[in-house]
Amino acid sequence: MRSSALRYGWIGYTAARSNMAYRGEVLFRSSFLAVILYIFMRLWTVVYAESKNGRIAGMTLPQMLWYLVITEAVFMSAPRIWAEVDQDVRTGRLAVQLIRPLSYTAGHLSRAMGERVVRFAINLIIGSIVALFLVGPIAMSIRGLAMFAVVLPVAFVLDFFGMFLVGLSAFWLESAAGIALIYSRSVMLFGGMFLPLEVYPDALQPVLRILPFASMVSAPGRMFVNPSLALLKESLITQGVAVVAYAGLVSTVQFIAFRRLFSNGG
Amino acid sequence: MNRGVEIRALTKNFVLTRWSGFRRSVSEIVAVDGINLDVPAGQSVALIGPNGAGKSTTIKMLTGILHPTSGEASVLGFIPWRDRRKLAYSVGAVFGLRSQLWYHLPPGDTFELLARIYNLRRPDFIQTRDLLIDRFNLGPFMQTPVRKLSLGQRMRAEVVASLLHRPKILFLDEPTIGLDVIARQELRDLIREWNHNDGTTVFLTSHDAGDIEHVAERVIVVNHGHVVVDGAVDAVRRKYLGSKILRVQFHGTPARIAMAGVTSLSHSEYEWKMQVDTTITPVGQVTAAVLDAGSVADIAIEDPPLEEVIARIYSGDRREESS
Repeated sequence: MRSSALRYGWIGYTAARSNMAYRGEVLFRSSFLAVILYIFMRLWTVVYAESKNGRIAGMTLPQMLWYLVITEAVFMSAPRIWAEVDQDVRTGRLAVQLIRPLSYTAGHLSRAMGERVVRFAINLIIGSIVALFLVGPIAMSIRGLAMFAVVLPVAFVLDFFGMFLVGLSAFWLESAAGIALIYSRSVMLFGGMFLPLEVYPDALQPVLRILPFASMVSAPGRMFVNPSLALLKESLITQGVAVVAYAGLVSTVQFIAFRRLFSNGG
Repeated sequence: MNRGVEIRALTKNFVLTRWSGFRRSVSEIVAVDGINLDVPAGQSVALIGPNGAGKSTTIKMLTGILHPTSGEASVLGFIPWRDRRKLAYSVGAVFGLRSQLWYHLPPGDTFELLARIYNLRRPDFIQTRDLLIDRFNLGPFMQTPVRKLSLGQRMRAEVVASLLHRPKILFLDEPTIGLDVIARQELRDLIREWNHNDGTTVFLTSHDAGDIEHVAERVIVVNHGHVVVDGAVDAVRRKYLGSKILRVQFHGTPARIAMAGVTSLSHSEYEWKMQVDTTITPVGQVTAAVLDAGSVADIAIEDPPLEEVIARIYSGDRREESS
């Protein structure tokens, strides 16, 4: 058990170190976040000027911008796991990986988490600088940050499962790129990246809340700006259900895909 | 006792499904057709054959990635497709076209990761790593990111990465592809040395006859899923070519020799290189004639290059197929 944790933990650590080699590229890509935040700041300023009590979706303008910092940082930190799996299947690299005493899924999960932590940290630093410059700080507490730190990794794991499933589609499709595009846009639109879920029509909100996308993006964003035990409980229940459902789906699809591999080759 | 590889009637059929409109047709391709093999521990074997012969399928079954349609295989006492994870601790692999090193990190980082993946005891890992770094002369590049290494340096690092856990079997798939002559020769020497010193069983698949000649002691030629030829590299060369290369240097200009089965390959005033078809004229008879032809300064009798042997085996196989 301990050696397994060390093994997968070290994969994550190596992935994080490898990603640090891209510091310049990651910083450059993250700088785009500053542009996005500035544009949204201008847009929301106009929208907030029309609001009666200075609140939209229960958030003030500074809170809205900090919410965007988190959701954008989460979305933009996603590694292209689907492309890795797609390449593994398409080029036969999968066979090489299976020669190692590792779980294919856990190996990719560790790698994804390592990469994502570095990217998210850089995005968060840049986003925070921009938000501090544009709207200043918002009220935060250690307790709130701790609750955020619980919800965030689960959001990453959920997104990993989603991307991994998209990648596994390469066993049946010519390319997983099409599904990846739909998946990424779904996370963007239905996850509450640009707009909090409360802004969507009332009839749509319950549907969006039970979809896993909100648990990946909106949940950490809300937890950062408006942390509460009730929200933590609600988020963890939704995330827990989504993790169990996704894990079941991933193991079923992978079982079918690998049975195909074991019987018909890569 | 380190057990090797035993294969009995190993067969693999691939099912091919084709759709024509709404009609589905299923056909079966026999990739490996009842192969029987015994490879003792510590032997270095070249598994060769034309593309689509069944080499990779055999290797994939031996590493547990593919499940056979029928037959049995035992690798180091494990049934590969049932005990894949356990077997993985005793197997190393180098794929010339697929890197296992982290591209943006120095090789040492991959080595550290592999130590964790294979759950190596720290003192054992350090001892093996240092030994390999020294032997494969990787010391000067240990802090250089893999992306900045030359192909030769990278391939040496790849082999080191696959030997860190001291595997009992090493699978090498085109390990020298793309390397220059010197880097290729260096790598072959190192692999052969490790095979001799550490007793690692080596399974080599390569289209480069030089790899086979320098690394393997036994060659297994596979075609259409069957073992076509199996024997010691020298014996195969002798059996399948029936010819010798005779290289002679004279003190003066020799008299011409005209004998059945003797073909001149190159000819200068003092040197003569000829191919002797030993099935027509024994090489001893030709040598005697050469000694009569002039004052001999030096004489060498060589086996023909393995490329020629392989080409002849493949073409013979095709002829059998068409007849």
